Amino acid sequence: MKSIIVLSGKGGVGKSSIAASLAIAFSEDKRIVCADCDVDASNLSILFSLPTERYEEWTPLSTNQIASIDRDKCIRCGKCIATCYFKALRSEDNIPKLNEFGCEGCGACELICPAKAITLKDIDNAYIGYSRTGYGFKIASAQLLPGNSGSGKVVSEVRKKAKEIEPDAELMIIDAAAGIGCPVIASVTGNDYALLVTEPTPSGYEDMLRALDIVDHFRIKKGIIINKYDLNKDYSAKIELFAQEKKIPIIHKIPFDRAFVDAMTNMVPIIDHDKDFRKMFMDMKKKIEAEVIDSEK
Amino acid sequence: MTRAIQITRSIQMTRIIAITGGKGGTGKSTVATSLAFELSKEKRVLLVDADVDCPNDHLLLSIKREHLKTVRQRIPKFNPDRCTKCGACGKVCKTNAIMSIKGKNPIFMPDQCNGCGACKIICPSGAIEWDSKEIGRIYSGKKDNLDFLSGELKTNQPISEFIVNSLNEEIEKRKDGYDYIIIDTAAGTHCPVIAALENADYAFAVTEPTPLGAHDLEIILQLLARMNKKGGIILNRSDIGDKKIIESMAKKHSAGIIFEIPFSKEIIIQYSKGEPVNIPRISSIIK
Ligand code: SF4
Ligand code: SF4
Ligand code: SF4
Ligand code: SF4
Repeated sequence: MKSIIVLSGKGGVGKSSIAASLAIAFSEDKRIVCADCDVDASNLSILFSLPTERYEEWTPLSTNQIASIDRDKCIRCGKCIATCYFKALRSEDNIPKLNEFGCEGCGACELICPAKAITLKDIDNAYIGYSRTGYGFKIASAQLLPGNSGSGKVVSEVRKKAKEIEPDAELMIIDAAAGIGCPVIASVTGNDYALLVTEPTPSGYEDMLRALDIVDHFRIKKGIIINKYDLNKDYSAKIELFAQEKKIPIIHKIPFDRAFVDAMTNMVPIIDHDKDFRKMFMDMKKKIEAEVIDSEK
Repeated sequence: MTRAIQITRSIQMTRIIAITGGKGGTGKSTVATSLAFELSKEKRVLLVDADVDCPNDHLLLSIKREHLKTVRQRIPKFNPDRCTKCGACGKVCKTNAIMSIKGKNPIFMPDQCNGCGACKIICPSGAIEWDSKEIGRIYSGKKDNLDFLSGELKTNQPISEFIVNSLNEEIEKRKDGYDYIIIDTAAGTHCPVIAALENADYAFAVTEPTPLGAHDLEIILQLLARMNKKGGIILNRSDIGDKKIIESMAKKHSAGIIFEIPFSKEIIIQYSKGEPVNIPRISSIIK
């Protein structure tokens, strides 16, 4: 199974909408599966008009542990408080009290406690599940519960789930999380191709460079899509020049179009909006296919 | 004279306001920069870009940043002379930063390490000492009257909240010098966002009237409720979709829509040029 990751550094440049429409384009002649790795705000499936409430499976997931303190065993030595590098423990009446938001589940306090008063216990930190979209292919996604950590591991679980529900798929399309932190690193590693979506703004450009750092760290082949390229043509030119120097292909330049906004609002994937959009995505699909699949033959 | 000033300062507390909003791209940074720039025309304002994964506020305002300090995190250093190759450190490391099998020297991958110290505690032979690695930087800058701080995580580093904590320390040091401190948080609801929200007196969630916006808003409202934060909703591109879905979400979580920003190509163009975006009356949200 080949896999393509769509990422952008920051959200808001149209990454998920583009990922959704490309998935539809690919699904027309391939067996595909989608993985929504934006587990902080999982909404790729909403773009297919499929809220998670209607998923075939949507169950709690635990990839995290937090410290649990047995007050009866605690001898109030304070060692755990001094040990916690994440400042998740503080003293309350000489007994350690845990701030759940801060606990990374590292286990250092458990190791240091002389009274064996601390154990790590599993906590549900996300929901995970899958369903079949109206377009015939399946999608796996997860949602981190607000205020929980461990998104990197949840991302890995989503990718595993996507493989499980469609083991014979030829292609997996992954929508990455925003940012460059742990969840993005977990989404990017091990893919065959990275599609960087950017826009011609100073921040769009800088974000793309940051995302590119991660992609290059894992030595993944890549291409660029410039969204709303005509909003600032000077900047678009700058991105194109950069791409040329680095020998990164520009897969497409998408013009700014109010229809994009409307499609988002009405929850219609842009590819279904009209004939021109459809043609555009079919073109993109062909180019990406040539990059990812045919180049190996 | 000096006394009088001191008295006014102690009465007028600095207000810390966080601008947040589930997913990126809803206009969070546009609102934060616009609000901070507007307010700075009359008040002493500090804008803090705590979106340390992808800090962009300096680009939006065309601020040239200067390096203020480097943020470092501790990491273990292995002394091969002392190591008995017992393999214990690799077993306790939850981030898989150490690969160790009995009989072999441990292999350490510094990028993955969060500095928790479990390996050092478990090591029976005192073979682990502390070293450190750079994980990011804090920058400062200025735009006219507006003071600015920005944190930036180095790529491939796991714990972005350490950078946010370092920003929080800077805020703590400086806060008496300002009437308002505006914090632009990261996207999402995970660790660095929580760290950025911790000290805020008010938190405003920026969203847009689409099903996606409503979905993300719900998650951030749940977090704000869990953290007991006062605040409200700022509805961006308020005229593009169906406002009702946001209204009913607001009602469900007893939050209010306190400001609306209509869709405007002007804003997008100003944004793309790196000019302060002018949102009429934006400073009214805190008055
Ligand atoms: S498990 Fe780690 S982060 Fe959590 S309280 Fe213990 S030492 Fe702190
Ligand atoms: S280290 Fe153990 S005994 Fe000491 S304060 Fe912590 S929980 Fe109590
Ligand atoms: S400090 Fe913690 S994360 Fe780093 S290597 Fe040791 S056990 Fe692993
Ligand atoms: S725990 Fe200490 S002695 Fe054992 S392998 Fe690790 S460094 Fe070596």
